[in-house]
Amino acid sequence: MTVVSLRDVTREHGQVHALKGVSLEVSAGELVAVMGPSGSGKSTLLNLAGGLDRPTSGSVTIEGTDLAEVKDLAALRRGSVGYVFQDLNLIPSLTAAENVMLPRELDGVRAGQAREEALAVLAEVGAEEVADRFPEELSGGQRQRVAIARALTGERRLLLADEPTGALDTATGDEILHLLRARCDAGVAVLLVTHEPRYAAWADRVVYLRDGQIVESNAVRLESSR
Amino acid sequence: MSIRHGLLALLSSGPRYGYQLRVEFEASTGATWPLNIGQVYTTLSRLERDRLVAPGGADEQGRAVYTITEAGREELERWFSTPVAQTDRPRDELAIKIAMAVAGGVDVAEVIQSQRVATMSWLQQLTKAKRTATGGLAQRLVLDSMIFKAEAEQRWLDHCEAVSKEKKQ
Repeated sequence: MTVVSLRDVTREHGQVHALKGVSLEVSAGELVAVMGPSGSGKSTLLNLAGGLDRPTSGSVTIEGTDLAEVKDLAALRRGSVGYVFQDLNLIPSLTAAENVMLPRELDGVRAGQAREEALAVLAEVGAEEVADRFPEELSGGQRQRVAIARALTGERRLLLADEPTGALDTATGDEILHLLRARCDAGVAVLLVTHEPRYAAWADRVVYLRDGQIVESNAVRLESSR
Repeated sequence: MSIRHGLLALLSSGPRYGYQLRVEFEASTGATWPLNIGQVYTTLSRLERDRLVAPGGADEQGRAVYTITEAGREELERWFSTPVAQTDRPRDELAIKIAMAVAGGVDVAEVIQSQRVATMSWLQQLTKAKRTATGGLAQRLVLDSMIFKAEAEQRWLDHCEAVSKEKKQ
């Protein structure tokens, strides 16, 4: 089942064509990695896929809803899309559990239930033991786990990750990809932007962006040349 | 690739027979470099000729068992303490291919992109093997070694693309 679909999407910022006619689909249980040099349109693509921005032309559909027909993008984002960024933006004055609870509380879920959900999702990502600690008391890998838990809470089924391994060492970066992969295998659709081949290799499909266009993609089942 | 030293290393933790050496070698390298039993026996007989191993009789099932000698232990120690030289590695076909493409006016971008797709497939296979590996730390580190190499190749291809683009402009 397709969770997010971009059809012939173009995005212009003034004279600059950030994306030129990109089509891409991500299904439930699929991990798609987007690679490309800086300025190739990776972040623009991610912002459009997550409803943080609207295309100049073309269409973006999330879980069957065409974003052009949605007035309140913020509500759709809160319900369907989770984001994980390089700079984690966990709120320093809140504990790990409170950070994870926040989007649900903004949705009007009672604190008790939000906490229960937060603890469950923290356990899923292997961070239950840090639930009551503050971000500054956590390692880089633990913080990223909490950020992923926050992105998943409320059973959101589309996860967008922009360089989620940014400042982490390779062993911790591998753990984060292991986790994203496991969430994916449990049915979440993941769109990952990375410039690091070792992390892109965890994907089912790797898409290369050049100057706002997809030049090639490879699926995991391709015959190897070796 | 040193089968010779690999076998010495296995024998350093106790006497073993040929088939056992083959199984343990493959287990600890994640079956990355499959060995046939013929290679094992040829290598053992050379090691014996060089007095680095000695035949140690037979086990209760009649299989010929080998033991590492004192000279064998010294050789193994020397091997572990000597770094691998760059010149021991074969010539890099990909680097030669890209160099020839540049020199010969072939479309380098296309050569780079098709290699990039192939290398990424290889990297995806290695990553999948790592995800499903059950062979413990030694196997995982061998796979990691190949992942780092494939990654370096991928980065170098990105570099080639960026530099050859600059040159064109």
